Amino acid sequence: MTPPLWQMLLVMAAASLFCRLAGYVAMRFLPPSNRLDAALKATPLAVMAGITAQALAAGGLTEALALAAAIGLTVVTRSDVGAAVAGVGVAASLRALGL
Amino acid sequence: MRAPFTWAGFRRGFRVGLALGTAIFIYGVAFGLVAAQAGLGWGWALAISGTVFSGSAQLAAMSLIPAGEATLWTLAATVLVINARYLLFGATIQPWLSKAGPMRAYASLLLIGDANWIATMRAAEKGEEDRAYLAGTGVPLNAAWLAGTLVGVLFGGILPDPRALGADLMLPCFAAAMMAAMVRSRAALVPVAVGAAAALLVTRLAGNGWGIIAAGLAGAAVAALTARPGVLR
Repeated sequence: MTPPLWQMLLVMAAASLFCRLAGYVAMRFLPPSNRLDAALKATPLAVMAGITAQALAAGGLTEALALAAAIGLTVVTRSDVGAAVAGVGVAASLRALGL
Repeated sequence: MRAPFTWAGFRRGFRVGLALGTAIFIYGVAFGLVAAQAGLGWGWALAISGTVFSGSAQLAAMSLIPAGEATLWTLAATVLVINARYLLFGATIQPWLSKAGPMRAYASLLLIGDANWIATMRAAEKGEEDRAYLAGTGVPLNAAWLAGTLVGVLFGGILPDPRALGADLMLPCFAAAMMAAMVRSRAALVPVAVGAAAALLVTRLAGNGWGIIAAGLAGAAVAALTARPGVLR
């Protein structure tokens, strides 16, 4: 028995809102410390590395070349956004070629 | 003292959001198609995309409906589990975003997602002072997500292949590029290695969502344990 749509919408919206706000709110109750500061600084890098590693593990040569292009072009050009878009372009081009 | 919150900062974020928007639009089309197949009209699909605003969670929730497994509990649990990584996003952005003041901060948080969290953390690390940056990245993403949803519900049959356009690699390429830009010392390679290893291990056991959470928590734990103890400043 599927519940009415408006109830489903409300529950999903509330769950999503909770996830967006709870981590932020919880931070107000944590005492500042060097360890917390270091943890917060390291988390984005670890998550970025995790997303990259997942894509590498799930993909093949095309995906590896696209990610290598994104990283390599960032190091060379210092433009991370441009390098990321170029990486997507590499993937689209290689797939168009049938790789 | 409050941090700046101006149109100039909004526009800087907006430009990055536009670069991400194409891929988000394509995934919005995919969600719209799945929502239509689950029997939802365009109004409901838009309402879900506008309030939930999370591709992975919405797609998982939609898969429950035709399977006859959609109860309020399973829907809530699905969204909570898949969006649990947002807890990390909110916590890590708090020291920077809280300087905008509560109203602006909470409003900006409504627009946070994987890609623009990454972009904003990178911008903050680079010295972005304007807290409107996050909302700037979020508005084009939200607009692309809603537009994609509408197109998917109405014209799902002409769905472009996300793989052919490379849309599946937009988030990984952004993550990889911004990671490369943020690694400026050998010490920064520690969270990179720990995060990648944790993600690979946990993704195999529990899927992509938990893999990301494991990466963040493992990187945070190693950094906390190796930091010098003491009260900050």
